[in-house]
Amino acid sequence: MVNILEVRGLRARITGGREVLKGIDLTVAPGEVHAIMGPNGAGKSTLSSVLAGKPGYEVTAGSVLYKDVDLLSMPPDERAREGVFLAFQYPVEIPGVNNTYFLRAALNAGRRQRGQPELDAQQFLKAVKEKLKLLDIGDDLLRRAVNVGFSGGEKKRNEIFQMAMLEPNLALLDETDSGLDIDALRTVSDGVNRLRDPGRAIVMVTHYQRLLDYVVPDHVHVLADGRIVASGDKYFAAELERTGYAHLCDAA
Amino acid sequence: MLITDDSAPFQEAYRQLLAGTDQPDWLRSQRQAGMERFTDLGFPTRRQEAWRFTDLEQLTAQPRLPSLDGAPPLPADLLEPWRLAGKTHRLVLVNGRFDPALSAIGTLPDGVWLAPLAETVLRRPDVAAMAFGADGNAFAFLNAALFTDGAVLVLAPGTVLELPVEVIHYSAGDTQVSAHPRLRVMLGDGARATLVETAAGDGNGWTNAVIDVTLGADAALTHVHVQGEGADAAHTSLLTAELGRRARYRTFAFITGASLSRRDMQVTLSGPGAVFTLHGAYLLDGGQEATLAVRADHKVCDCRTEEVVKGVLQGAAHGVFLGTVAVRPGADGTDARQLNRNLLLSPSARVDTKPELEIFADDVKCSHGATVGSLDEAALFYLQARGIDPVTARSMLVAAFAAEVIDAAGLEGEVEVLLRRHLARWLGGEGGLG
Amino acid sequence: MSDVTIAERPAAGPDDILDSIVQAEGYKYGFFTEIEAEEAPPGLNEDIVRFISAKKGEPAWLLEWRLRAFRRWQTMDPPDWAKLNIAPIDYQAASYYSAPKSLKDAPKSLDEVDPELLKTYEKLGIPLGERAALAGVAVDAVFDSVSVATTYKDKLGELGIIFCSFGEAVREHPDLVRRYLGSVVPVADNFFAALNSAVFSDGSFVYVPPGVRCPMELSTYFRINAAKTGQFERTLLIADKGAYVSYLEGCTAPQRDENQLHAAVVELIALEDAEIKYATVQNWYPGDAEGRGGIYNFVTKRGACRGHRAKISWAQVETGSAITWKYPSCLLEGDHSVGAFYSVAITNNRQQADTGTKMIHIGRNTSSTVISKGISAGRGQNTYRGQVKVLSAADGARNYTQCDSLLIGKSCGAHTVPYIDVRHPGAKVEHEATTSKISDEQMFYCQQRGLTAEDALSLIVNGFCKEVLNELPMEFAVEAQKLLAVSLEGSVG
Repeated sequence: MVNILEVRGLRARITGGREVLKGIDLTVAPGEVHAIMGPNGAGKSTLSSVLAGKPGYEVTAGSVLYKDVDLLSMPPDERAREGVFLAFQYPVEIPGVNNTYFLRAALNAGRRQRGQPELDAQQFLKAVKEKLKLLDIGDDLLRRAVNVGFSGGEKKRNEIFQMAMLEPNLALLDETDSGLDIDALRTVSDGVNRLRDPGRAIVMVTHYQRLLDYVVPDHVHVLADGRIVASGDKYFAAELERTGYAHLCDAA
Repeated sequence: MLITDDSAPFQEAYRQLLAGTDQPDWLRSQRQAGMERFTDLGFPTRRQEAWRFTDLEQLTAQPRLPSLDGAPPLPADLLEPWRLAGKTHRLVLVNGRFDPALSAIGTLPDGVWLAPLAETVLRRPDVAAMAFGADGNAFAFLNAALFTDGAVLVLAPGTVLELPVEVIHYSAGDTQVSAHPRLRVMLGDGARATLVETAAGDGNGWTNAVIDVTLGADAALTHVHVQGEGADAAHTSLLTAELGRRARYRTFAFITGASLSRRDMQVTLSGPGAVFTLHGAYLLDGGQEATLAVRADHKVCDCRTEEVVKGVLQGAAHGVFLGTVAVRPGADGTDARQLNRNLLLSPSARVDTKPELEIFADDVKCSHGATVGSLDEAALFYLQARGIDPVTARSMLVAAFAAEVIDAAGLEGEVEVLLRRHLARWLGGEGGLG
Repeated sequence: MSDVTIAERPAAGPDDILDSIVQAEGYKYGFFTEIEAEEAPPGLNEDIVRFISAKKGEPAWLLEWRLRAFRRWQTMDPPDWAKLNIAPIDYQAASYYSAPKSLKDAPKSLDEVDPELLKTYEKLGIPLGERAALAGVAVDAVFDSVSVATTYKDKLGELGIIFCSFGEAVREHPDLVRRYLGSVVPVADNFFAALNSAVFSDGSFVYVPPGVRCPMELSTYFRINAAKTGQFERTLLIADKGAYVSYLEGCTAPQRDENQLHAAVVELIALEDAEIKYATVQNWYPGDAEGRGGIYNFVTKRGACRGHRAKISWAQVETGSAITWKYPSCLLEGDHSVGAFYSVAITNNRQQADTGTKMIHIGRNTSSTVISKGISAGRGQNTYRGQVKVLSAADGARNYTQCDSLLIGKSCGAHTVPYIDVRHPGAKVEHEATTSKISDEQMFYCQQRGLTAEDALSLIVNGFCKEVLNELPMEFAVEAQKLLAVSLEGSVG
């Protein structure tokens, strides 16, 4: 089976600035959940940003294959329509743009690209209701403008809800657990678990172990100073919790 | 050349003033150029957009000409309310002429030049020549033609002047004369100074000042302007400032005096990273009219402007705030905020406010706000409910409103004390409520 | 869960916006209709004024009124205070009257309207036939300078509502016209209003009698067709005591290389307890990307709240014209009267707009709201200019103004020029303005969800304008959103 993601020797820097990723190798197969951990400033968020195509970064070496296709040559919106989803660490507020309306525009943009018929209002509503039920979240977020006036927890829930609606092949969760209290963390994690799927890969970037107690990964990697310095299975995360990153970082 | 009726008496005064005096050639031609430009432009009129709210009738109805002789000696305690406490470098002008008796320039550190303009013309013509720019408004040109003296403050690069400099212009007498002081401030790269520029008086003259500030890279100037002229006086002043790379120009305008006053400030941010902050208050009563017209011109990237100006208007006073923030093409990373708040305390008082944005670059964050209102009824009632009588309650709220802007300015030491003293005097005195 | 809403306004749903972006193909109203027209010779003098008046068979008082305006106009100068770069206009080169010839004897019914004209309006998306009517909208169409058809007249007539061309109003309701014409915008109010007063040829007239709530939106569509003509229409709208009316106005013009002048005057009168809502979607031809051609849109719009508790609200979406000079205003004369101004103005390419409002608080406890959204792209220059004036008797006056500007690209300009003049201590006036560029973070967020850069931009701009678009009647909101998308074409790199 074709891998969802194959990252080879990826080096990237902030445009005109310092190098942040210094040779990343990462292979993610369908159905897998990978956690990328590491200290602040290691390049975790940069990795997800570069994979999603956020402007402001320059890839200087290496390659990224997404389902066997060169991901880096695609503009960010095309990547998204091809099924790459980034759950933002800081979801952006867009005043005046209704959340549901935004989601429908995004969903239909992807469907057009895949040659699927667009959903009309009725079909869309039906899908919305299903996913809300699946994720066990209320519909209060739908009437408001995109992320405007949302609490931290609401923003993160909204990201997971969008992920559920857009049904990506590759979901990049950037510090999705940051700023959440324990109840919100549980809601968000339950959502992610329900979205685990044999056809879908999930890459979680996190600073803390606690997310991994709720969303148990298949593989855990430690990113330090722009390189993956250690990898292991789900028990590796617990070990890291005890030993910390320091000895691994020194090795880097 | 068009000879207007308005300028004719001034041309005559100009001839008299210069008759028989010994002027260096460069200065004579500066004065001549100033007179020609003023004659050309004439007095501003309300048909000009920038002057549409300013009533200059009291200046044009009866021309206030420069006095040909010096003022009588003044008792030293007259200046007491206007002086900073503690040690300062003080330079006093009376009716446009340097007064050595009232001045106390003191010992200056190396790298500092502080002297009257007339003396500078004689001793350092190279420095004095820099006190004349090519630009200005009609009044600034008139000043260039008619000035009798002024002050020059120059700091060499890296110099830090610890003591504040006080430049006090006092307008005395009831003979409707005009004075045209000229103040030049130049700070070299990394130099730092504090300046208190006060215009005070008890007469019915007209003070028409020009202040010209240049700040080099990383230079920092704190500049407090106090305008407390006499109740029948007129005051006009044009301040131009040019800010170099990362220069910081922090200024405060405290305006309570004169029946007619107008302060124009034209601040050009021409070095990346320069910062301009203006805090100000105009506190007016009776038939006073005051205009504060500020233009911050962002020519390059990453500069910041912050303006907070408050007005309190009683009696039949008229306050005018004209604030423009201009962002030139390429001035990306500009961050500009402008706030003008006004308290209107009487049925005959009036406020005109025009906070303007003129933006030609896209990577900017600019905002402005303006409010006009009266005292918060709920707050008044709250104070009364705690047993405070209405007059005191009102006074407390007005004081709090005005004091806020002094708090926000974050000035230190005796300079802050001076402003609070002026505010207290206004609140408690004729202009006050209590 | 059945109460989940797709959008705050269903008619302006996502499909409409996305469709419009997909279909966007520049100025789609740029066609020109071949119609034989009767034109006045170029130039302007008293004879032309007399010619226009005679053509329209006007009474002597109206000719006198026009001549008074003309004589005043000759002594006036065009205003120069706006932040606009206007090439000198040769007022003698234009023709001041153009009427489709086949309408010389005014159509008695739609059957008599020139089929070419009807086709033109079909192309504009304005069906005039009663059968194909926009549900619940009565339309008056003004083609060049002449009103060509008014729909739903009979139905409105049953309620005593008069909705007709200005010319017809002069003939049929001279007393009303004479009483109110020029009562809000005097003949010599400004250069362009004086010009309009001298040469206006037609326009719309509305009168809603006391206590009547107009059951449908009234709408006028203006179209400049002939070359080298100006359009000078005049709208007079009176809501008598306790009446209510909502009025829509739309404008288009063909694509031509020369500039054409549009100098209209709109006067609104709201008597005690009356309410008028006036919405405009202005999409005159903006000129091409290099700034050739386009309409000069110099319009005077003013409403008077003449009675207690009267309300006037202006909503405008200005996407067209090479130059826009326009300040829909409210005179808040009656106590407790309310004025509002909601505006979206967009300038792209070389368009220039200097637009805003005046809120003049005269009566006690009057209140006004101003919400302005300016969008500059390309080399467009966009100025908000607004005045809030509280006169000395306006105890308890309230104003809230918010103007936000959005910049797209390096070569455009956004300017904000508010004038606040307060002469009463019981007033409360608040003004806020912001200027910022379109946010990179917002763009990336939308693109990460699969939207193209153009879609993302359109979505964000529509969101930016939401507060204003919400004030438009539903039919217009959809059109306005499409227009915003079209107007922004080519502004993302």
